[in-house]
Amino acid sequence: MPETLTATAPKQTNTIVHPHYGCAIGAVYSVVAIPGGVPIANCGPGCADKQYCILSSGNGYQGTIGAGGGAMPSVNIGENEVVFGGAKKLDGLVKSALRIMKGDLFVVVTGCSSELVGDDIGSVVRRYQRAGKPVVYADAAGFKGSNITGHLIVVREIIDQFVGEYRGRKKKGLVNLFFEVPYFNTNWRGDFIEMKRILDGAGFTVNVLFGPGSRGVEEWRDIPKAQFNLVVSPWVGLDTAEHLKEKYKQPYLHIPVIPVGEEATTAFIRQVVEFAGIDPAKSEAFIKQEAHYYYYFLEHFSEFFSEFWFGLPSAFTVASDSATNIAMTKFLADQMGIIPVKQIITDNPPEKYRNAISRLYEDLSEGVSAKAEFIEDGYMIEQEIKNTDFGASVPLILGSTWESDVATELKGLLVKVCTPNTEEVVLNRSYIGYRGALTLIEKVYTAAVGGGS
Amino acid sequence: MAKKRINLKISSVDNREMRLGTITSWDGSASELVEASRYEARGRKKTAGKGRGDCSGCQGSDSGERKVCRLQELKMPFNQQTMCSHAIVACQLGNLTDCILVEHSPIGCSASNPRFNQGFKIGLARRGKPIQSLQVCSTNLKENDMVFGASDRLRQTIRDAHERFTPKAIFVSMSCSTAIIGEDLDSVTAEMEAEIKIPVVPVYCEGFRSKHWSTGFDASQHGVVRQIVNKKPKKQNDLINIVNLWGTDYFTPMLKPLGLRVNYLIDMASFDEMRQASEAAATAAFCHTLGSYMATALEEHYGVPQIDAPQPFGLAGTDDWLRAVAKTVGKGDMIEEHIESEHRRIAPKLAELRKKLSGVKGFVSTGSSYAHAMISVIRDLGVTVDGSIVFHHDPVYDAGHENQDTLGHLVKHTGEVKNFTVSQTQPFQFIGLLRRVNPDFIIIRHNGLAPLAARLGIPSFPMGDEHFPLGYDGLIRTGEALLGIMAKKKFGEVLKRHAEIPYTDWWLSQEDQFILARHPEILDEEPDAGVTTENLVELGADGSSKISEANLRYA
Repeated sequence: MPETLTATAPKQTNTIVHPHYGCAIGAVYSVVAIPGGVPIANCGPGCADKQYCILSSGNGYQGTIGAGGGAMPSVNIGENEVVFGGAKKLDGLVKSALRIMKGDLFVVVTGCSSELVGDDIGSVVRRYQRAGKPVVYADAAGFKGSNITGHLIVVREIIDQFVGEYRGRKKKGLVNLFFEVPYFNTNWRGDFIEMKRILDGAGFTVNVLFGPGSRGVEEWRDIPKAQFNLVVSPWVGLDTAEHLKEKYKQPYLHIPVIPVGEEATTAFIRQVVEFAGIDPAKSEAFIKQEAHYYYYFLEHFSEFFSEFWFGLPSAFTVASDSATNIAMTKFLADQMGIIPVKQIITDNPPEKYRNAISRLYEDLSEGVSAKAEFIEDGYMIEQEIKNTDFGASVPLILGSTWESDVATELKGLLVKVCTPNTEEVVLNRSYIGYRGALTLIEKVYTAAVGGGS
Repeated sequence: MAKKRINLKISSVDNREMRLGTITSWDGSASELVEASRYEARGRKKTAGKGRGDCSGCQGSDSGERKVCRLQELKMPFNQQTMCSHAIVACQLGNLTDCILVEHSPIGCSASNPRFNQGFKIGLARRGKPIQSLQVCSTNLKENDMVFGASDRLRQTIRDAHERFTPKAIFVSMSCSTAIIGEDLDSVTAEMEAEIKIPVVPVYCEGFRSKHWSTGFDASQHGVVRQIVNKKPKKQNDLINIVNLWGTDYFTPMLKPLGLRVNYLIDMASFDEMRQASEAAATAAFCHTLGSYMATALEEHYGVPQIDAPQPFGLAGTDDWLRAVAKTVGKGDMIEEHIESEHRRIAPKLAELRKKLSGVKGFVSTGSSYAHAMISVIRDLGVTVDGSIVFHHDPVYDAGHENQDTLGHLVKHTGEVKNFTVSQTQPFQFIGLLRRVNPDFIIIRHNGLAPLAARLGIPSFPMGDEHFPLGYDGLIRTGEALLGIMAKKKFGEVLKRHAEIPYTDWWLSQEDQFILARHPEILDEEPDAGVTTENLVELGADGSSKISEANLRYA
């Protein structure tokens, strides 16, 4: 009998092997991503630590800052709290966190145990709110869904409980950005920096809300003053924008595909500028300068691309969250001329968005379309990739560390674009916009010339 | 017949606080903790068949003793995130080569699997086994399952695991949510075992079950001893069980002179390797925090003796451990000569390292008994240690064997550790505890503390390969590695000049890191009132009457 496991035919059920996301309590990391934000994890002892793995350490060894990682206040719910209720222990934690942790905004994020035993978190937190303390609470039990679900819950609760009502004037050219999910999207820090650079360059002032380019809670308080909301994602952030439309009478612009490469990014800028009705002089100058740099590099690259003797990939698959998936697919298909053969969306988008997401793949480029498949179970994803026909090409797989086994089996090239990623150390990296596209080209073709992935 | 210490009749394991009187929050000196632990008295109770090492054994006629034997714990209102027993089970039973772990929980409970996958693959490579990814299966529960019950999901996932991977056994771990909604693991696993005809083992390790994650080790081992090991063992006289984690195979060369083959348990083990645990000549562990439960279970139920010694780290520890192994397997006559020749062999290199490391100050923050071993190791290398954090403290181990008192052994052989703290990966306390001793480096396991030390400019030595410091050669390996670790201080100095500490000046000015346990009322005082000198005079742990510059250095 062999002492290793042998795999057999697949069947989709409730089971998930090799998960590509965490659970709702992972939203504690959305709080960490706000400068001055302090999450208070109202959950079991291991919950936040597990999310740290799939969102940070197991996702490019991003690390964390402020009240993230080991520093995160947590109730560490024990048997006593399960039997007798945990409100009292939470109260002690909030009270001491306000004294011990530096911070401008404290967010109590509640997980499975506290929600199942029915603790009244609102009554604990409202006492601090009445005393003028910057504390909000959000119910993000793991059984409610993925860390994306949790992220959206937390964003909404901060807006409703902390930002509050506003009836003042809007500021032309000020835009709120709803974009990637902090920590979850492996390159989020670099991507937020690139997106802010692009929008600043186009003449906007941006509330990026998360990451090093954010002014922290001050920026959150400015949300209602913005001229409009910009959602750059196939579905994440749409609910938030709808909510803000109702709450602050703010319009929103939805651009479902994160722009990658000069042509897409330039089109993106023009669309946003036109929507806002701001003077295009600044944005056109910016575009001109960016295009100059971009094609300076692309022309150099084209020499390798056109006459490399030893073969380059001509067919690719992407298995990742929807935002990354469509962005990578569109760029590689439309700008690089690589054939999309299997596009697997792993982040379980709500049913109501799935048709719209699928349609994005129908017209990727002139004469090029693909079919989006929604699969969350890593085991099924690996089976699907294994059974994909890559034609004469070496299989190019954009995915996570989980796909490394199938990549090895197919003798393919694996480029890591999503969590988990335990084979790369990621700092300030981006695969989007003008500059990120060049980095992505480097990454893909470094893999192709044998530089590993 | 005396009551057994380990009850294999029931499927769940008593948590550590019940069995051993485990604590997670304490501050004092190592010798004070040795005294307060009363290892010998607790051990006597265990070996006399009273079962537990906590206070329950004192109930009834001698209830006066009850008060005395309870270890005083410092309960803090503030806590930071830690690990849980469920994660521990995932990194044990999820790291088997031909068995599958099913996690009966929402998907977030499986979020550590990328880390455990990496550890598994590295572990397999270290042992020369074929590399494969872990295949932990989650039942992926949603809100409806919480309302209507999730047993059908569990049945489905067990069938999926069976069909997809044809494992030789399936373990099913309980999570907080499934425990709270009352999922009946015993019934479903029994039913599925009958259906698929391989062992299906329930494992009770929900995170709230115990205040310390190490109960997860016990839960894993309980399942293996109860349902996997051979119930009709054929003795293998040259086989020794080593309960361990992912460490490099340094035990084989170490035990070769005694003619022993090593059977590592449980990470990276196969079904057959676990099964033969009951056939071994003896059981030992790299650390008693990890191995005590399994060793005691195998000893009581299958007559496999456990090694009654401290742990094989540092000179005295390794000497005593080898003597005990040799005695247990009937090779006592040759061991003294072997020990002597080993000492001679490493002496020149050891002397050289001691010279290089003299004057260096180290700090150890790891799991409980492993910390005792690490302090011995670096002290043998000439490093000064006057501070340590253990993540919990077991006043006694399951067997109650007197010679396994690792903290007592440490103090007896290498002397006092002046600042000895029990604190479960709490960086907000760590900053003040480091300030007391100002070390040149720290040794760590588990995550959460080293990132803080890094921001203070202190380099860390993550002892990821737990066998690295093992035995005589491990001393030398550790000394050499330390030189490389110390060089990393350059990076620390840069970071220290620019990094921000997430704690308030008020908290950083507190001298006593457990002040909130002793005086929770200070939280109600006005924010500015806490920093006065008077408060510190009154509240300082050692009665010291001034704030030294060093105390405020990080503020």
